[in-house]
Amino acid sequence: MNNLSRLGTGFVAALVEAWQELRIHRLRVLLSLIGVTIAVASLTTAVAGAAMAQQLMTEQLERYGRPAMISTYVSSPENLGPSQNSAQISAAFEKTAERFKINYTSVVGSSYGARATHQGLSVGTQIQVVDPEYGPMHRIFAQHGRWLEAEDAANLSPAVVVDKTTMTQLGLADTRLPATIELKNGADSVSVTVIGATSTKDFGMEGQLWMLPETYERWFSAGTPLNEVTYAMWVPVEGAEELASQFARQLQAELPGYYVDASRQDYLAWGQDEGLKQVALVVAGIAGIILLLGSLSLLNVAMVTMKQRIREVGIRRSFGATTGRVFFSVMMESVVATAVAGGLGVLISVAIVSNPKLINAVLATGLDEMPGFPVNAALLGLGVSVAVGALTGVLPALVAARVRIVDAIRV
Amino acid sequence: MSGAQLLELENVTRSVLLPDDSELQILTGIDLSVSEGDHIAIVGRSGTGKSTLLNILGLLDRPTSGTLAWRGTDAARLSSRRAAAARGRDLGFVFQQFNLLPGRTALENVMAPLMYSSGRDFWQRRRLASEALERVGLGSRLDSLPQTLSGGEQQRVAIARALVRRPRVVLADEPTGALDVATGLAVMQLLDEATVESGAALITITHDSNVAALARERFRLEGGRLHPLVQEVAR
Repeated sequence: MNNLSRLGTGFVAALVEAWQELRIHRLRVLLSLIGVTIAVASLTTAVAGAAMAQQLMTEQLERYGRPAMISTYVSSPENLGPSQNSAQISAAFEKTAERFKINYTSVVGSSYGARATHQGLSVGTQIQVVDPEYGPMHRIFAQHGRWLEAEDAANLSPAVVVDKTTMTQLGLADTRLPATIELKNGADSVSVTVIGATSTKDFGMEGQLWMLPETYERWFSAGTPLNEVTYAMWVPVEGAEELASQFARQLQAELPGYYVDASRQDYLAWGQDEGLKQVALVVAGIAGIILLLGSLSLLNVAMVTMKQRIREVGIRRSFGATTGRVFFSVMMESVVATAVAGGLGVLISVAIVSNPKLINAVLATGLDEMPGFPVNAALLGLGVSVAVGALTGVLPALVAARVRIVDAIRV
Repeated sequence: MSGAQLLELENVTRSVLLPDDSELQILTGIDLSVSEGDHIAIVGRSGTGKSTLLNILGLLDRPTSGTLAWRGTDAARLSSRRAAAARGRDLGFVFQQFNLLPGRTALENVMAPLMYSSGRDFWQRRRLASEALERVGLGSRLDSLPQTLSGGEQQRVAIARALVRRPRVVLADEPTGALDVATGLAVMQLLDEATVESGAALITITHDSNVAALARERFRLEGGRLHPLVQEVAR
């Protein structure tokens, strides 16, 4: 207990000494730490930026299906497409999904060439026919209003959700929802109710619009059958390929004579995250080089300073400072200083990365939602700064610890 | 009048190797015994090895041959850690050039040795250092930096620093060397009074006969050997 108390007192005393030293030589310390601050800020910004970009890209990619997304396509024996017997196919799909205990499923049908109009403004729109589960399956949610619900099938006015492009082009950006617009698809022109709007704008100038299968069936399918219908399932990534294969066989058994294909259709299956990882590595490599240069500069200043402080070390040794204590104190000076510099660097990085205007200018994109600053990047920045302090503190600490007291006092 | 024996040198020599591989003999056959309450002065001209002897007495250096016993233990058998602990706990140094830590206030300088103590002394270092400075008459200059203090005041800060851990031996290396005569004598009287009060031994190295005259035992260091000048001076 006595030894423990002595150790604790020694540690606190070394910290106090280190802080005193930094306070007294604050200008020198400040100048020597600029490099470390910039390097840590660069490294943290690079890692945080890459992580945030990765998150943004992931979110973008997940709009096409969150992993693992299995897409099932059923073609009729006459090769005329599935829509002719969609009720039979849908029933078989639902039965099979229940058997496999898959909770997230959705019909996905498309109809191109529709046009939405509102008070003289119009925009070309792609209609997506989907079940309510399609939203969470594709990370699509209503930024204004709400997403589709099963009960919307019973609405007397067809309920639709539109994307940002449609909202903007129809002059509805500042309008409170629900709002009524005209939707013309083929020969049918129907007044529909916009119950929600997403933040997405994936198709550039052309808009996108989502509605339930029952809604499309009731109002539009007679005139314009869906172009293509697939069935999507969101399942755990582990064993997804095997599940797709078994699901296809089972569905095939339910639909004799049809051709059934089920396969993964998410970005992980395509390997689209590899490029981003490489970019993150390159940026981290550049930040690492900056950090190395900053560390060398810090080491240089620390060595020169230690030569000037030899007498002080001798005086402290005459007070009873052991070699271990001198080593630890000098080391702590470096660690405390770089930890402070690193903390400052992380704060600068947070200020940069969390600034929406700056990020939008750099990424040339219009983000509606800023991802939070990654905690891992902040911890990495602090960890690296402490490690740099320890590494650059070792040499001066060794010089200080090895000094002969009588020589040091005479300096 | 002397108390327990603290330091004992027997036939101590100290030599150094010069760059041309020849050996320079600094101290030869030194015998000296220091006990609690002693006040010893060692006089000698510059370059006679006074500081080398003081360094050996202060466990800062080791003899080339002979024995240095610290409180009955051969100092050669003390690990550097235990020697450092003994320096911190039982030995106080006063240097000619004061050797105050630059950039630190008088209070921080006196607190510095307490940074290497453990327990209560460490946690009460501010109070102990303030009291030590009060005792040397610098209670109003606690926050003064060394460069704003006169030579005499700086040496008094150094004395407060040497005494703050209540050492058994105070080693003063030319403590008045950088001061005028009047200030030097005042500093020496302060050092003498403080050590008498605490019962610590005081070993002063000086080339000033007036300073040496304050000691009860005096030696002259000449040719590397220690010669007693006066056995006992009545105070």
